[in-house]
Amino acid sequence: MKLRVQYRGKELELEFEGDKVKARDLLKAMNLSREYAFVVVNGEVVEEDYYIKEGDQVRVINAISGGWG
Amino acid sequence: MKRCAKCSQKAVVYLPHHRIALCKEHYIEWFERRVERTIREFRMFSKDDRVLVAVSGGKDSLSLWHALHRLGYQADGLYINLGIGEYSNLSEEKAKKFAQSLGRTLHVIRLKDLVEDIPTIKEIEKRPACSVCGNLKRYYMNKSAKELGFSVIATGHNLDDESATLMGNVLSWNLGYLQRQYPVLKEGNGFVKKVKPLCLITEKESALYALLSGIDFVEEECPYSVDASSIEYKLLLSQIEEKSPGTKLRFYLEFLRKIQPLLRREEKLELKPCSICGEPTSADVCTVCRLKQRLTLSGKGQGS
Repeated sequence: MKLRVQYRGKELELEFEGDKVKARDLLKAMNLSREYAFVVVNGEVVEEDYYIKEGDQVRVINAISGGWG
Repeated sequence: MKRCAKCSQKAVVYLPHHRIALCKEHYIEWFERRVERTIREFRMFSKDDRVLVAVSGGKDSLSLWHALHRLGYQADGLYINLGIGEYSNLSEEKAKKFAQSLGRTLHVIRLKDLVEDIPTIKEIEKRPACSVCGNLKRYYMNKSAKELGFSVIATGHNLDDESATLMGNVLSWNLGYLQRQYPVLKEGNGFVKKVKPLCLITEKESALYALLSGIDFVEEECPYSVDASSIEYKLLLSQIEEKSPGTKLRFYLEFLRKIQPLLRREEKLELKPCSICGEPTSADVCTVCRLKQRLTLSGKGQGS
């Protein structure tokens, strides 16, 4: 299954085996931790075991930002 | 499915180190109460103060401005355009739209008009971009706050920023920086009071608040911060936090409680006005005026 993901102002296309992808799997595939990142599906923040379906509007927010301000 | 600890509705946020799950409405309330408590606990400012929020267009500064506004503080914004191409243009646009939605004033200044833009400065500057940029932002925040008549400058530094900075300073035992690492820097010696009301809020909590409050913030990272050591420290701390929730908060709060009072006793930094611009400095000429001199000598400065 293919997912289009909005991430930091860009659209990424990610491919997964099977037709069910949990939010947790998506974060893992993007090498992100739940400590600082989360998944938004169709405008709602979802839990890690939420199943994302093909066609869902998916956004991943990575809260870590750099610089010493 | 987790339920909100306050109303039993479906929770949208779980905060492991506070062991609490909350729905959207109660999360927003929790966040604003925590900001309010931090402001009071550290005696940052009152509702009589005019607060200037340093706005970058990112989640932290916009969340801070939003929360202060909702809590009833008199908070306007200052946006410093760094001249970093599309990144700066997008940030300015989002900051302006946000100010409009709050109905508050956003003061905008441009580094290009005052010194030079960051890409040009980077050509002659050996220090990391984040270091010189931070230096310039602090200088112009202070100068602008005085010129505009604000009594307090509030920045969006969060718990992850503070604990990563603390880690960096501890790894090199940088006592000078550790002495000044406190959520409130008092006014005096030419400095306006500077505060960090989000210092007990994690970066993820700040992003969640922005998202759940419908704030349109810049998600793109500054192109100069990609290899910043602060990101490495944040990733390391997040690995520890995942195994042991509450570590970051404890690391920072126990530093403030146990170590800071010892270090502040030793503080003997003498400041005087810069002989060129009059802003406070520990040398005869401040770092910004020295940077301007070097830009002029290299033929890249304003008016050269």
